[in-house]
Amino acid sequence: MTFNKPIQKGAITAGVLLCLSSFATASAAADCSVKVGAVLPTSVDWGRPIAAVAQYAVDLANEAGGVTGCDVELILRDSQVDPKIGVDAAKALVDLDGVPLLLGAVSSGVSMPILTSVAVPSDVMMMSCCSSSTAFTELAKEGKSKGLFYRTFATSGVQAAVGAMVARDKGYKSVAILYKNDDWGQDISNLIAGDLEALGITVTASVALNDAQPSYRAEVTQALKGKPDALYLALYPTEGSAAVREWISLGGTQNMILANSLKSDEFRDNVGMQYLGNTTGTDTASPRTESASAFVDLYKAKFDSEPNGPGLSNSFDATMIALLAMHAAGKDASGSQIAAQVAVVTDPEGTPVSADAAGFAKATEILSGGGTVMYQGATGNVRFDGSGNVSAPAVTWTFTESGTQEASYITLEEVDEFMALVD
Amino acid sequence: MIQSLADGILVGAIVSLGAIGLTMVMHMLRFANFSHAELLSIGAYSALVFDALFSGILPILANKIGPLSMTWALILSMFCAMGATGLSAVLIDRFVFKRIRDKGDELSMVFASFGVALIIRNVLGLIFGLKSQLYSNDIVFAVMVSSDPLLLIKPDQVFVLLAALLIMLVLQFVLSRTTLGYALRAVAENPSLAEVSGIRLSWVIALVWIIGGMLAAAAGVFYGLNNHINPVIGRDLVLPIFAATIVGGIGSVFGAVLGGFIVGISANMALLILPSGYSPAVPFMIILVLLLVRPNGLFGETQT
Amino acid sequence: MMGLISYLVFFTTIASILAIAVLGLNLQWGNTGLFNGGVVAFFGAGAYGTLLLGGAPQADHIGGFNLFYPLALIGGAVAAGLLAWVVGRLTLHLRHDYLAIATFGVAVTFENIMRNAQGFSGGAKGLRGFTRPLEAWVNDGLTYNVLFLLVVSVLLICTYVFLERLIRSPYGRLLRAIREDEIAARSLGKNPGKIRLAAFITGSCIIGLAGGLYATFYAFVSPQDVLPTLTFQLWAMLIVGGAGNNRGAIIGTFLIWAAWTASGWSLSRFAPVELQIYTGTMQFILIGLVIVGMLLWRPQGLFPERLVVSQSGRKKN
Repeated sequence: MTFNKPIQKGAITAGVLLCLSSFATASAAADCSVKVGAVLPTSVDWGRPIAAVAQYAVDLANEAGGVTGCDVELILRDSQVDPKIGVDAAKALVDLDGVPLLLGAVSSGVSMPILTSVAVPSDVMMMSCCSSSTAFTELAKEGKSKGLFYRTFATSGVQAAVGAMVARDKGYKSVAILYKNDDWGQDISNLIAGDLEALGITVTASVALNDAQPSYRAEVTQALKGKPDALYLALYPTEGSAAVREWISLGGTQNMILANSLKSDEFRDNVGMQYLGNTTGTDTASPRTESASAFVDLYKAKFDSEPNGPGLSNSFDATMIALLAMHAAGKDASGSQIAAQVAVVTDPEGTPVSADAAGFAKATEILSGGGTVMYQGATGNVRFDGSGNVSAPAVTWTFTESGTQEASYITLEEVDEFMALVD
Repeated sequence: MIQSLADGILVGAIVSLGAIGLTMVMHMLRFANFSHAELLSIGAYSALVFDALFSGILPILANKIGPLSMTWALILSMFCAMGATGLSAVLIDRFVFKRIRDKGDELSMVFASFGVALIIRNVLGLIFGLKSQLYSNDIVFAVMVSSDPLLLIKPDQVFVLLAALLIMLVLQFVLSRTTLGYALRAVAENPSLAEVSGIRLSWVIALVWIIGGMLAAAAGVFYGLNNHINPVIGRDLVLPIFAATIVGGIGSVFGAVLGGFIVGISANMALLILPSGYSPAVPFMIILVLLLVRPNGLFGETQT
Repeated sequence: MMGLISYLVFFTTIASILAIAVLGLNLQWGNTGLFNGGVVAFFGAGAYGTLLLGGAPQADHIGGFNLFYPLALIGGAVAAGLLAWVVGRLTLHLRHDYLAIATFGVAVTFENIMRNAQGFSGGAKGLRGFTRPLEAWVNDGLTYNVLFLLVVSVLLICTYVFLERLIRSPYGRLLRAIREDEIAARSLGKNPGKIRLAAFITGSCIIGLAGGLYATFYAFVSPQDVLPTLTFQLWAMLIVGGAGNNRGAIIGTFLIWAAWTASGWSLSRFAPVELQIYTGTMQFILIGLVIVGMLLWRPQGLFPERLVVSQSGRKKN
């Protein structure tokens, strides 16, 4: 009990303090604050930076005057990648802190129960950076998500199509696929295998890599067997670097095509630039405006590295768009009211605003005046379809000594055209 | 086929080193220690620290040895890490397991070991960050031993295999030829009788932890050399190590070594028949099948 | 205030569902001495079974039989029982730690199959398409949750009463006899193997029932719900509450679940902003400390098993 007690005591004091502080804020309307909840896997290697970026976006918003004139208070909870824990955290945020907006979660297996058992019943808007499952689209089509769910993660269709496009343009005749064995990986590997075969490119092997395996040697050996021209990787940095180091040391081809999850310094450093010369990555892209690099510059200044890692720019955009929508919806808006304003923030006809503090301030001003804006974020000219999915133009990129650089830009029309071709 | 077999042997060597320590602890203290694999993490990370230290003080040590990615500094660090990990193991026992042993039953120990594993893993995560790290960023190319059937082997792996075998031989010598070894076996057989014969129980228990910790540290460094280091390698390795221990039979050092190789080889061979998504289940399939045939493992004795 | 009530209702629902599972585990370990290291497989069998039987048909995998809900729930529990029968036949003769690892392996294999067999379980993206019973008739979210809590509480109480009667019956004494001294029980003409299997299956059905309720509440289940973490959490609840004591098992569940959620909540509330991203890791350290501290302080649990004096002279079977 020695260790148990402080927690319980802490919780009680916490409760008391919370009550006091909520009274305090209610009485002093001058410096108000609005609460936003976030449920993100901060105890996982790739989850921690995603949370840091969300926190940073909130800081920027506060620097630019906050939301509806109030400071934004981000309450961050760890999901531990455990659905029970994530749902409980979300429920506590909604019921105890009264947040109308939840950022997260990352894994679809956590986001889905949060959406069905917390967000929809309580009329809370959910903005996920990274949940990729097609199940959300199905749910939205059935009308069960009540328009409360948005994600800034471009559906895997675009990623896969651009990956296949790279393989075709480089003239690869055969490709092996290594994918993360989760909903995103299963989805994207099926998609790209279909796309490649539609282009007449042989898929020599499609090998799933499970999380938390001590060695990926056997999987890599399996993928090596067909002696493919190129390797397609839909992995996260940890298992990605482990697998690619094995792959290269076993003499596998250095022609690699990467999904955007491997746009990561960890991956580049652990594999080494000398082996990444023939590597092309894919990603969704920013529009061709001068303000598009705003996020990259900001990130460099703040974290002293490029924003390379799974979900970082998505997390930034998710936070910014959600906060702007919250502003547009006005004080004390409900989840569905905020959700309804997302279209106003991402209006293709609206005034373009950049993804930094100045852009945020400009956007809040326009929105307060009843105008609409086009948020030009880190992942591009974000535009949501009826199911809360985002579609965007794409880029291919390559690694450089200091980070990554863009290799080519593929417009939304080109992406759509190509996807129609391979379908 | 040949390739999978060779890979399996090389992976198995690391698992074996971990399993030896675990089997000795499980035999002596009669509890399944789920925090054993965390000793590998402690070993791997302390070697990382020592390595940075030695390479900083004497840059000449940072040169590579022949075709290996191993440096002299890392070899030196490995020995230091073995000492540090042995010591940590003894300390953990003093602070946690000994106290629980004095008042609780085996199951409390098992659960305490879960708790200890959680603490170690996350403290490492706080100190070193959650990202993967490497001793050396260079990728050492595998050497083609034969082209048909294709057989590629990395020099590091051969080194690790030889080093692991050497360590096992030394251990075998200590256990079978020295008074220490006799004392260990006496205590494992019958603690009270051993105590009556003038063996100090607490010393022998400490010794088991030191040996277990040292072997785990070596395994951790070898694993880091071949793969990568991150705070969760204990979590990733705990199941193969347990599988090896149980397949070999608790208490049998030879069994643990063999078990390690069996687990390594079958995990690599399994993908020849199973889709790779099922690979985490493979070690358990082996355990299940083996336990159906031999309920006490290959070399385990019946215990009550 | 409504928020607090709403949260408490939610919290109590989840804790009660977990408590049912811990009661099932208590029958297996606390009363019969079976070290089930794969609780989550039986929990998952119940969850997947219920959703597959009671859900709407889906294009990409089997299931969706739209069964009447109580039947689907029972079906889930039966699925868990069937799994337990197979697993028990194979592994129950093993000693403690071997049994634990073998059943742990069963759970890992179960998760693997659910993750990979897309045509059966929906794969990694999980199983969807289930509508919670009567949801269309209850508009208000809170009212529905209160009703759900009532159902769960009734089931928890039923399970508790059933198990209490069971362990006080001659059969319960038999279970403990086998746990304490198998050879002695055998010499009295009992068949320990058969009885242990029966207890294992019964316990697993109860755990499966909890799994079914859990999946119903979320109207969703995915491989992430059946990771080994859950096994660990349920065991921690039983150990802290006190193995062998049903009331202890329930209280232990509420305490551990409260500590687990409250530690996350208070860290998010009180840790300074720049440390916020480390709170997840710190929470795990806290949980580890709580478990180790508890075992150091009171290894028999908060509510140790009460040793019942055998009622002499009233033996029936």
